[in-house]
Amino acid sequence: MKITGNQSINASPDIIWSKILDPRVMEKITPGIEELEIISEDHYTAISKIKIGPVKGAFKGELTIKDKVENESCVVVLDQKSKIGNAVAEIAMKLVVLDNGETEVQYEGTAKMSGMLATMGQRIIGGVISTLSKQFFKALEKEIESD
Amino acid sequence: MGTYIGQSVKRREDARFLKGAGKYTDDIKLPKMTHSAFVRSPYAHAKILSVDISTAKNADGVVAIFTGSDGCNAFGIPTGWQVDFKNGDTMREPKHPLLAIDKIKHVGEAVAIVIAETQAQARDAVQLVEVEYEELPCVTDPEKAMAKGAPQVHDEWTDNRSFDWCIGNDRADVEAAIAGAHHVTEMEFVNHRLAPNAIEPRSYIADYDVNADKYTLYTSTQNPHLIRLLMCAFTLGIPEHKVRVISYDVGGGFGSKIYHYSEEALLTWAAKEVGRPIKWTSDRSEAFLTDAHGRDHKVYAKMGFDKEGMIVGFLADEFCAMGAYLSTFAPAVPTYLHGTLFQGLYTTPLIHLNVTAPFTHTVPVDAYRGAGRPEATYLLERIVSKGAKEMNIDPAELRLKNFIAPFDGVKQPGYQTQVALQYDSGDYHTILKKGLEKVGYDDFRKEQAEARKNGKLLGIGISTYIEACGIAPSAVVGSLGARAGLYEVGHVRIQPTGKVSVFTGAHSHGQGHETTFSQFVADKLGIPMDDVDIIHGDTEHVAFGMGTYGSRSLAVGGSAIMKSIDKVLEKGAKIAAHKLEAAVEDLEYAEGKWTVKGTDKSIGFGDVALTAYVPHDYPEGVEPGLDFSSFYDPTNFTYPFGCHIAIVEVDADTGKVVIKRFVAVDDVGNVINPMIVDGQIHGGVVQGIGQALLEEVVYDENGQMISGSYMDYAMPRADDVPMIETDRTTTPCPHNPLGVKGAGEAGAIGSTPAVVNAVVDALHHLGVTDIQMPVTPQRVWKAMQQN
Repeated sequence: MKITGNQSINASPDIIWSKILDPRVMEKITPGIEELEIISEDHYTAISKIKIGPVKGAFKGELTIKDKVENESCVVVLDQKSKIGNAVAEIAMKLVVLDNGETEVQYEGTAKMSGMLATMGQRIIGGVISTLSKQFFKALEKEIESD
Repeated sequence: MGTYIGQSVKRREDARFLKGAGKYTDDIKLPKMTHSAFVRSPYAHAKILSVDISTAKNADGVVAIFTGSDGCNAFGIPTGWQVDFKNGDTMREPKHPLLAIDKIKHVGEAVAIVIAETQAQARDAVQLVEVEYEELPCVTDPEKAMAKGAPQVHDEWTDNRSFDWCIGNDRADVEAAIAGAHHVTEMEFVNHRLAPNAIEPRSYIADYDVNADKYTLYTSTQNPHLIRLLMCAFTLGIPEHKVRVISYDVGGGFGSKIYHYSEEALLTWAAKEVGRPIKWTSDRSEAFLTDAHGRDHKVYAKMGFDKEGMIVGFLADEFCAMGAYLSTFAPAVPTYLHGTLFQGLYTTPLIHLNVTAPFTHTVPVDAYRGAGRPEATYLLERIVSKGAKEMNIDPAELRLKNFIAPFDGVKQPGYQTQVALQYDSGDYHTILKKGLEKVGYDDFRKEQAEARKNGKLLGIGISTYIEACGIAPSAVVGSLGARAGLYEVGHVRIQPTGKVSVFTGAHSHGQGHETTFSQFVADKLGIPMDDVDIIHGDTEHVAFGMGTYGSRSLAVGGSAIMKSIDKVLEKGAKIAAHKLEAAVEDLEYAEGKWTVKGTDKSIGFGDVALTAYVPHDYPEGVEPGLDFSSFYDPTNFTYPFGCHIAIVEVDADTGKVVIKRFVAVDDVGNVINPMIVDGQIHGGVVQGIGQALLEEVVYDENGQMISGSYMDYAMPRADDVPMIETDRTTTPCPHNPLGVKGAGEAGAIGSTPAVVNAVVDALHHLGVTDIQMPVTPQRVWKAMQQN
């Protein structure tokens, strides 16, 4: 399935960039993430708990950030496994400066799910992702404001 | 009409069902019983790299864990039918393991079974089994499965075909007739995949008695003897006399509980391994992923008509999915239960159907209420209605013109079709005319025109059908590839007091056999219904049986009982003659007694029964007892037929279809209990409406079933259906003693095309000529916008 969206944030690209790519911040602001362990630069293991409609799962797997163009764009690769099924996603993120001075975070990618996660969750995953991303950006804004 | 036959006697079984006192398999608790849960694949096609049970086996309450390499897979699950390739090559029949060993072939395939003290513990431990997979590309669509380079389901063959098959006249002749036709109507569509959704999910308990070296399997099935036969002779290789299969109440099946499933065999095998009873009950999610599905045909068809609208040729090519493995009836469904109905009610002189049946990375497909006949009827009735629209002929008129003339199968011979079958008896013109009259066809057309002026979209859809029921003559199905006979067993035991126990190999999963069978037994013996009990569902009590499916219970199972009743009455007459000091030929039997004709000398049924068991004053050379068992093998299928008409209104803004009226006129031969027949028609019609408007199993491109819960799989609900107006004509079956044809599937066969024809009729003036099922508001709205 396709995942797309955007969110404008009242901050410059370099601030957003530094926050999003900081594993400690990422761990804090990404909904569901309980633990983010650094394997190497831009390569983590993540443990998360997410509820998608009627299914709840503890996910464990890798998170990789690649194709980085500083303050501009990167690609996030997620490979998460759980007992309710596995999820693999590749999402390209772009930071675009808007006319009003805000920065728009644009993301676009695909996700592939299996097992119960696909059977029970596919129809509502779009809604779940939109809720989770709203939470994510809200937390991100808060994080930026608090500096 | 007797005292009971033809009466809407209230169902006996409902007293316990309405009180929640039914005895379903999951209600049974055995001493020391364990519970089980399955580790199932999240992938459609994958290599199993490793299975690690080390943590799980030490989890709380775990009794045992078995994987595919633990010895349960010696033979695998067999299929019941063999349909060979057109060129004579043998059908490709992959080994169907109880637990996957190296490779996964569909989402939900079991990799391991966890047996624990409680169900919760078993499920918790399932989470601790670590399986490492390597996901592989998959294919779920039967047509795509035949494309060059498609992912292979089974590596041992070079393409995905299980078999290919054809029936009817020479293809070249049919093509020539269509090429020379005045008008040709073409169709291309998917008869989409459905999940059966019985209200009671599959449930099993296996028990092994070490002292008797005997297994007992409690199972929610439509055919306990068939399960025992397949499991003993093929899957597990254990002697049949060492296995008892019990199936008490069964909460619906619709075909999905005919088949021999891996879970029941695995539990039976494991019960001996662990030395304790084991229960497994499917949850709804598992049911979606593991119960055999129905339909899934991709269809390309052409029908040629002459100037007058007479059908001159009918040609179809279909891709029919088998799923990952061959389920028990699977090869028969798109072939012998499908192609043989391509004559429909029409005099079509040239017919050809070509079927390609590939494996796909999905749960197996098998018979689902109607089994091949709904698919045939949908195609025929849609293409005839589409042809009528294209030629601007009224669809009712086009049907009447092409119908086979009435024949009763006694004075007039049966009708020999172009597709192997010989219809027994039928009067198709009368039933359509009755349907048209009941719905007020002529008036409706005026109402429709008026409504259109006001922006209201009304449509009427006609569907007529014939089906082959009462399966089946053993020799015929044997020549068609069935690996079992399809006769039935009826055992009538007259107790010394004249009370009657009837043992039948048919097995009710909601049809009300305890009522219907008692009705005709009581009538034939001239005794009260309360004196008759029907016993089924236990291989230890019932000699043998083939079970309930294909609308066969009364036509085949009832006939077997009738044979035994004849034997009872024949022997009873000898005893009565002795007691009355008369000759057998001077006696007549009526109202529960033998009377010497023209006298008032008589002896009652109960007295004769007692004499048979206390044979002090007894005819010479006659054995004591009054107890007979019979096997009945029908000489032909039975052929119910009917006419279903739907009136729909389409919401012009949203595309939502509302069924305003539904008229079902069915001819199921003689009727024992009209209320039960109506109930069967109602249920079938609703199921057919479900396919037409709502239900669909959807796999995504990764082979994940994304409609695997009631959030996404839309079952018909009460407000989706109107009051169903039923009526009947009665053309008795000429070749069975009750003259019955079967009523279990008719509703699901006739209704689907009626609804879709009605939707197309409502939208035809907007340029809509066809619409893919399920006819969701989105599809309707899109179709309206595109034209």
